[in-house]
Amino acid sequence: MPELTVEVRNPSGLHARPAATFVKAAAGFGADVRVANVTRDPQRMVSAKSVIGVMGLGVSSGHTVRLLAEGADADAALESLGELIRSGLGEQLAPAGP
Amino acid sequence: MTQSLRGMPAAPGVALGPAWRYVLSSGGESRLTLDEAATLAASELDALAERLRAADRPDEADILSTQALMIADPALLDVARDLIAAGGTPAAAIVSAGESAAATLDALDDELLAARAADVRDVAQRLARVVTGQAAPRLERRSIVVAADLPPSVTAELQPELLAGIALEAGSRTAHAAILARALGVPAVVGVAGLLDALAAADAQCIAIDGESGEVLLAPDESAMRQLEERATLARDRIAREADLAGRPLTTRDGERLMLGANIGRPQEAAAALAAGAEGIGLFRTEFMFMGRDAAPDEATQAAAYAAVLEAFGERPVVIRLIDLGGDKDLPYLALAPQPNPFLGVRGLRLAERDPELILTQLRAILAAGEQTGHQPWIMAPMIADLADVYRLHEFVALAAFGRPATHLPKVGVMIEVPSAVTLADRIAAEVAFMSIGTNDLTQYLLAADRTNPALAARQDPLHPAVLRSIHAVIEAGHAAAIPVAVCGEMAGDPAGALALLGLGIDELSMDPSAFGAVKRAVAGVTRAQAAEAVRAAMQADRVEDSRAALDALR
Repeated sequence: MPELTVEVRNPSGLHARPAATFVKAAAGFGADVRVANVTRDPQRMVSAKSVIGVMGLGVSSGHTVRLLAEGADADAALESLGELIRSGLGEQLAPAGP
Repeated sequence: MTQSLRGMPAAPGVALGPAWRYVLSSGGESRLTLDEAATLAASELDALAERLRAADRPDEADILSTQALMIADPALLDVARDLIAAGGTPAAAIVSAGESAAATLDALDDELLAARAADVRDVAQRLARVVTGQAAPRLERRSIVVAADLPPSVTAELQPELLAGIALEAGSRTAHAAILARALGVPAVVGVAGLLDALAAADAQCIAIDGESGEVLLAPDESAMRQLEERATLARDRIAREADLAGRPLTTRDGERLMLGANIGRPQEAAAALAAGAEGIGLFRTEFMFMGRDAAPDEATQAAAYAAVLEAFGERPVVIRLIDLGGDKDLPYLALAPQPNPFLGVRGLRLAERDPELILTQLRAILAAGEQTGHQPWIMAPMIADLADVYRLHEFVALAAFGRPATHLPKVGVMIEVPSAVTLADRIAAEVAFMSIGTNDLTQYLLAADRTNPALAARQDPLHPAVLRSIHAVIEAGHAAAIPVAVCGEMAGDPAGALALLGLGIDELSMDPSAFGAVKRAVAGVTRAQAAEAVRAAMQADRVEDSRAALDALR
């Protein structure tokens, strides 16, 4: 199963608006995408299509997330979501993680 | 008969009017299926978000857009479906699914996520209302909204032109309803215990609230209303005066100007400090970058953070304090042995003796930020006890600057917070570019009163005559050496403290930007000479209460 690990660098992490941006993008793929906050608890995985689940990971700036995808467009989904996180999810990137 | 209750002031001003009770309505039979309700509720929220965006309220619009996304969330709908399948009514199933989703967010013990938990409950309540076919709450006439709690989306839905005030049983000053009330200029009181029961028992149609004192009057009589009117007039004048000061510098009544600095703890706070009228950063605490990680941040990571603040402030001074760790802040990677008295132990600059690379990396990062931005950084070292510490600081700066271009060299200054540095202030002042008094630590060290010990909280008053005399000595020493002296402790943001410092001859006050308004107002009301006279009396006081009284008499 393809997977990807990426550091979240936008200032407000995956709270509120950036979480919404991420979930909307994930919902655009047929693949089942799951996500975990490696920094807090690598075992707890939630659906990337659930905004409540994603917010519940408590991803703050500087945390690392792991994405797992399964399905026809799994590779494309990971590539696109990874790039979205790296580019700051619509926010200006923080100069440094806390 | 007038009955009075008390809560916490949440938004200033006085309001009088009919009470409009917001009650959560999710009773009754289901009129729609869960999916129909979800579609309808999401479109309600999208429309509301659209309206707020058009009304130039983008932050609230974002909250509601996120809520619209939550409505379709499997974590909510799937759980609700299971509960319905198990025999629950749709409305009850939704509320209980929302409650369990919100509880997982609450459990993370994060302030931001607690607000998101409120959003989840809000969404569930909306869905429960829609499924039972009930319309959204509307105000019929200008009223004071009374509720146990007011969810974000309901607050946004109420017509602002009919909203006279808000009184809530729950909530804090940072609750969404309180923030909205302040943004709209509507008075609000929160945390009023027993409000709804008292309102029902008194059968009061009309209530009055005072957003300054936190008072709520049920069925106020004529004299109570007159009193409130007087207070309302005073409050309006005061708010107008404060708003008037917002764009103005920190100036005394006779036009003498003091530098106004901001204390910040993260680069992201620089923009807000600038917008609030800061003329510089008087204290940039750098510990944030060192917390919550396995190793100290490298030079490039640190340089980016410092450069962001230097860039934001341009030619205005930015004082970057070298890390002050080891006192009440310890980090695993520093591997400090447990210290019996951490405040009197290896902390601040003393850490550099053990771990020179820690300080050298930070200094190199600050110098690099200066070169990148073309703005001269001001460097300030904490926990300076004597001249040997000052020389050690200069050595470190020289080592860090070795091989770098000589342009954009920093100004090097020190925190004065250790009593021995007060005694030696004349000698220290001759060797540094500026001094900044850390009144929190100076007070605890001078009075031998641990500031983390609640039993000694009353002894933590920087208006103590001994502290005032020490500050006076430091300012005199600084001026004799022709260098500026600032205060970056909490004393600078307390109006009485600011007046004392004005009287003692301070050059700069640096504080959290939220204190700017109150300090500007206090300073604008007096001349330096008046403040000097009051602080002379305070320095002669026998007790700290008398010292504070001498300064309060000015206001």
